[in-house]
Amino acid sequence: MYNYNREALANLRIDDTSVLDRLVDFASARKAHLEKDHSKRDKRMTLTEAIKQFVQDGDICTDAGFAYVRTPHQAYFEIIRQGRKNLQFIGSPNTNHSYMINFGVCRYSHNSYVGAEMRGTDRNYSRNLKEGKVTILSEWSHGSMAQGFKAAQLGFPSVFSKQLLGSDIVRYNPYVQVMQNPGRKDNDPVVFIPALYPDVTIIHVHAADRFGNARVYGPTVNDAALAAAARKVIITAEEIVPEIDMRYNNKGVIIPFMYVDAVVEMPFGAVPGNMPGLYYWSRQWWEKFLRFATLSDENLNEFMQYWVFDCKDQFDFVDKLGGSKWIASARRLTRTAEYDNEDIGFDYSYDEYRPGHNSGIYY
Amino acid sequence: MSAIKPANPLEMVAYVLSRQIQDHMIVYVGTGLPMVAAILARKTHAPNITLVYESGGQDPIPGDMPWSVGDPFTWRKSPIIQEMAYSFAQSYNGYVDIAFLGFAQIDMYGNINTHMIGDDFLKPKARLTGSGGNNDLSSLTERMILVGLQSPEKFVKKVDFITSVGHLKGGNSRQEAGLLGQGPVAVVTNAGVYDFEPAGKRMRVKSLHAGVSFELAQLATGFELLKPEGDIPVTEAPSVEVLEILRNEVDPRGVFISFPPK
Repeated sequence: MYNYNREALANLRIDDTSVLDRLVDFASARKAHLEKDHSKRDKRMTLTEAIKQFVQDGDICTDAGFAYVRTPHQAYFEIIRQGRKNLQFIGSPNTNHSYMINFGVCRYSHNSYVGAEMRGTDRNYSRNLKEGKVTILSEWSHGSMAQGFKAAQLGFPSVFSKQLLGSDIVRYNPYVQVMQNPGRKDNDPVVFIPALYPDVTIIHVHAADRFGNARVYGPTVNDAALAAAARKVIITAEEIVPEIDMRYNNKGVIIPFMYVDAVVEMPFGAVPGNMPGLYYWSRQWWEKFLRFATLSDENLNEFMQYWVFDCKDQFDFVDKLGGSKWIASARRLTRTAEYDNEDIGFDYSYDEYRPGHNSGIYY
Repeated sequence: MSAIKPANPLEMVAYVLSRQIQDHMIVYVGTGLPMVAAILARKTHAPNITLVYESGGQDPIPGDMPWSVGDPFTWRKSPIIQEMAYSFAQSYNGYVDIAFLGFAQIDMYGNINTHMIGDDFLKPKARLTGSGGNNDLSSLTERMILVGLQSPEKFVKKVDFITSVGHLKGGNSRQEAGLLGQGPVAVVTNAGVYDFEPAGKRMRVKSLHAGVSFELAQLATGFELLKPEGDIPVTEAPSVEVLEILRNEVDPRGVFISFPPK
């Protein structure tokens, strides 16, 4: 029953709007939340079980954290290994769905940003789009999409935004409408942004208890809102702590247990991204992804074979990054960057990835 | 004769950008040259500015050059880290003085494109990053500075996609569309500095870097540039002291200011 922006539907050549409906279907999200088992119970399970049970073909899945900061990369890799199909991806940023398109895991984009800033453009996404392997369902800016998630968390049907006005983004987003601010008599255009309800969000955290209360340190980005909005929530956590720890150390607890369906103990769950306080991102991995893997389908397949299909879990992955030497270096880097370690005399420099270069450790 | 090499085009851009920042401003910073410029400003004429980043970090204590706007250096011992929605809301609510944006294409009204190159959105010649925070900042921030390298492919009559509105169709069309702030107040490139003529809001030369003539700047531009009244000033170049700070302290490994770019 959603009143889609007709111009955007035409521009995106979307005839059947049923593919769009669930993202803005408040009634079904509320029903899903009501029908969840509300009991405060032990929700621990393995990553394999959590993905099997809570990520279904066709789901609207989120990219959480900030592209490569506290992002559940290892859970994404398990989704790829399990061979889910036709997922929609949404997130601000939405960097990580690109490498899932090649395997049919992701079929649809709700776009805000794809890429890794100054490290290079993502030619894999561009190529897949041209070949029709991915379909864009909506275009956003980071902030306007964040407002849609925030509206859901706040319990609002929508927000009126001053973002997107006058841009082509509103002409390629079927969910939003330019309107006159109903509270004013003078000309005051605003953009109607609906509350957004993804099917499933996976959030990587520093600590969770067995019920799902979850604590993070560092940027939270959109994750508190995503957890409130999504129909299903999987927490992957660096460590599982006793519940009493959440009560005494509640600073940084952004997710209450009732939202959560699965709790997975997952040290190094954000590798190869940055986990604040624990490990810096592997800069060379991301450079190799953008400067080698995205250049062709063959390169991407070779890259993903090595890093995803030939790894059964995050420990295999960390071994390939350089094992305990990589861990020590990544910990020192992030602790020094955050100024929890002495930085006088510390050298942040490293060799950027270049073809053929192999130091054995992905700094 | 000076023993130090003069500023290369990227160093010139970083320096000119840094001069747009006044002390005590709140500066919303993106990756790359804007970061370099903000850090240079803080180390030279504007030591008391506050930096804000879209992943939520703000007012970090100084460290190394951030690798990304989500890097720990963007929230290094920040007293508070904001959620993304709140971070952009600071700009809406009037707590950001200036922001810098990059572009793949720009038109004469300062509308910019970071989405795609080509005439078919669904099958572009090249798909680019999309907006990220670009549209949010351009919609909300009081003063925008646009920054990029200048060529006819980038300075075009019509952008292939309006990611972010500058002065839209000129005149007061930006305001009529409901957007906040003054819009773009300057464009900084490797060739010169441009502003927008007050009534029509078309791009106008403000100053050109040493060795760049108006004809050369026009050749690098796909639309007609406006000339200022009188002689065109030469952009002030950085002093030896500032260049040394830029090279030795701000970006010692030349990640963003090496020319040709790394």
